Amino acid sequence: METIFDCKILIVDDEPELCRMVTDILQREGFRHVLSASNCREARQSLTKDRPDCVILDVTLPDGDGFMLLREMRADSSAPVLFLSARDEDQNRLLGLGLGADDYITKPFLPLELILRLKAVLNRTYFPLEQTGPQERIFYLGETQIDLESGTITRNDGEQITLTAKEFAFIEKLYENTGKIVTIENLCHAAWGDNVYRYENSLMVHIRRLREKIEADPSAPRYLLTVRGLGYKLVGVTKK
Amino acid sequence: MKSVMRIISRYLVSAVGVALILLAVNFVVFFIYMFQLNSIEQVEYPVSQIAEGLTIQNGAYQLSDTTEKIIEGNYQWAMLLDDAGKVIWSLNLPAEIPQKFTVPEVASFSRWYLDDYPVYVWRRPDGLFVLGGRVDSVWKYNIEYQMVVFDKIFIWIPLVLLINTLLAFAIALVFGLRLYHSLKPLAGGIRDMSEKKAVKLSTKGLLGELAAGINKASAHLVEQDIALDKRDNARTKWIAAISHDIRTPLSLVMGYASELESNTELPTAEREQAGIIRRQSQRIKTLVNDLNLASKLEYDKQPLRLSPVSLPGLVRKISADFLNGMMDERYTINVEIDENTQDETITGDEELLTRAVSNLITNSMQHNPKGCVIQINLVKEAPFISLSVIDDGVGFTEEQCRSLNQPTEDTDLPYSGLGLTIVRQIINAHGGKVKFSNRTAGGCEVLLSLPLYLGQANCE
Repeated sequence: METIFDCKILIVDDEPELCRMVTDILQREGFRHVLSASNCREARQSLTKDRPDCVILDVTLPDGDGFMLLREMRADSSAPVLFLSARDEDQNRLLGLGLGADDYITKPFLPLELILRLKAVLNRTYFPLEQTGPQERIFYLGETQIDLESGTITRNDGEQITLTAKEFAFIEKLYENTGKIVTIENLCHAAWGDNVYRYENSLMVHIRRLREKIEADPSAPRYLLTVRGLGYKLVGVTKK
Repeated sequence: MKSVMRIISRYLVSAVGVALILLAVNFVVFFIYMFQLNSIEQVEYPVSQIAEGLTIQNGAYQLSDTTEKIIEGNYQWAMLLDDAGKVIWSLNLPAEIPQKFTVPEVASFSRWYLDDYPVYVWRRPDGLFVLGGRVDSVWKYNIEYQMVVFDKIFIWIPLVLLINTLLAFAIALVFGLRLYHSLKPLAGGIRDMSEKKAVKLSTKGLLGELAAGINKASAHLVEQDIALDKRDNARTKWIAAISHDIRTPLSLVMGYASELESNTELPTAEREQAGIIRRQSQRIKTLVNDLNLASKLEYDKQPLRLSPVSLPGLVRKISADFLNGMMDERYTINVEIDENTQDETITGDEELLTRAVSNLITNSMQHNPKGCVIQINLVKEAPFISLSVIDDGVGFTEEQCRSLNQPTEDTDLPYSGLGLTIVRQIINAHGGKVKFSNRTAGGCEVLLSLPLYLGQANCE
């Protein structure tokens, strides 16, 4: 298959109207192969005959439940599974995810949410490289180029500076969430692997060094901003 | 059990008290009676006075008329003996009384009787005055004690009282203990009943009827408890079932409305209407979720998944999420975390606590569509952590404040949504307290006090 739209998607839900709506939504989005089943028996037939690339599964089915079906399916298939369930209790969500489901969406849902999550799962499973192409890993803050592939900063005057491991972890996390606040906990987690607060002083030191490398005036930052009490955010990112 | 001990000790004290009071009353009555009896006979007409009624006039003895009347009224006869024992004067002297007495005879009758007549004597300068009473009118007893008895009178009277007290106490104690033993199971039964345990007491013995009554009351309570629990369970399940069943139809409404809203072939007006349907169905979704959670929390059917939770981290994450995604420029969130709180963790259900704080932020935003500044403060005030969410918006009405702070059992539906009710329920489930208030400067403040360690607040 060339793109995620070539994926064969099976919808299992006992409510025919819902099956039709999801099919409509997916087809309008561009998915070419959308199948549906209204119970476990039909789903099993389709699984063996059509070999779908992804399954959208309801938990409550007339002749069994989605959890059971997922367990059976996992015996000979690793196709991603999204639960689409009316059960919103945490234990159901955790059970589904624990069984190896790739996502758990509770009804009622917005079509856009379903599509975004489905695409994310399909991209992750079938096109993992496309998401983080090499050109995505290079960006500019004003005239300063940051290359996350090599972990280097190239300044306006051509000077190249290497990022330390921690600085790299911070700038990568902030870049992934460009324009958004990244909390102190999240940054510490990216660098140290846990979110204990006592690293905050260390974090401040690393951020100051990072600013010295990327900001023209580190005491009046334009790109790496402090959000008092919460964390930091990266703004003014451009790509050339 | 303490109350039974108190009842018994009060019973002991009163029993001893009764014994002592009776003793005292008896003594007093006895003494008063004795005193009054003696005064009739002797104080009014003592023998000395009567003796003085006999005077010598012109060499002969003369008895005054009044004295004679007294003698005849209260006594029978009188005589005067000279130093030799000879009768030198007499009044109504019976024939059997001799006219002369020897010293031994005088010594004998002066203490006892003279021929069965009770006799009183008085020494006069001219002899011995003897007054004879009626036969059988007086019982004479010559009292004689060792002086040692009188010396120790202030020891033995209290001693007797003390022994009596101890004895009364001991007897009362025996009866009291028996009462205690029969009351003990009853007290235990009442205590168990208050702790909602089933009570089955033996109905034998003195207090059997009481025990049977307690058994009956307990059985009623247990029955009622089961019935109530059943009803709560049914209600929670019923709400859960509805909120489950409404999800699939709501998915269709929301889904198609959303599709119509984004269908560029439709006129703008129709798309806007579809947008309204989509937004309103999202509101229904929130309401259904809230209703389900509120009913579970209300009837303790929502288990808490406890783990260490860092409140500073939680507050930062929620604030960042709001600022990153769900808010526009009308709203600002300022977070102030006290230095002493940075490292604190509490035991709690992270998802529910997140829900509580998010609900407060959402509430501030909903009630201030023109925008507001939301201030979140986190301070440790051992043994609590105080989390306050403050805004500078319209604030609560007095009515809202009252109903939020003092929820009555069968309260009316909350004024707008269940969001703040859920906040209170979540914080209460964590052993904490919630206070809703308005600020004098305008806007409202919701203060959450969470115990640093779960269960600690209940121990206080």
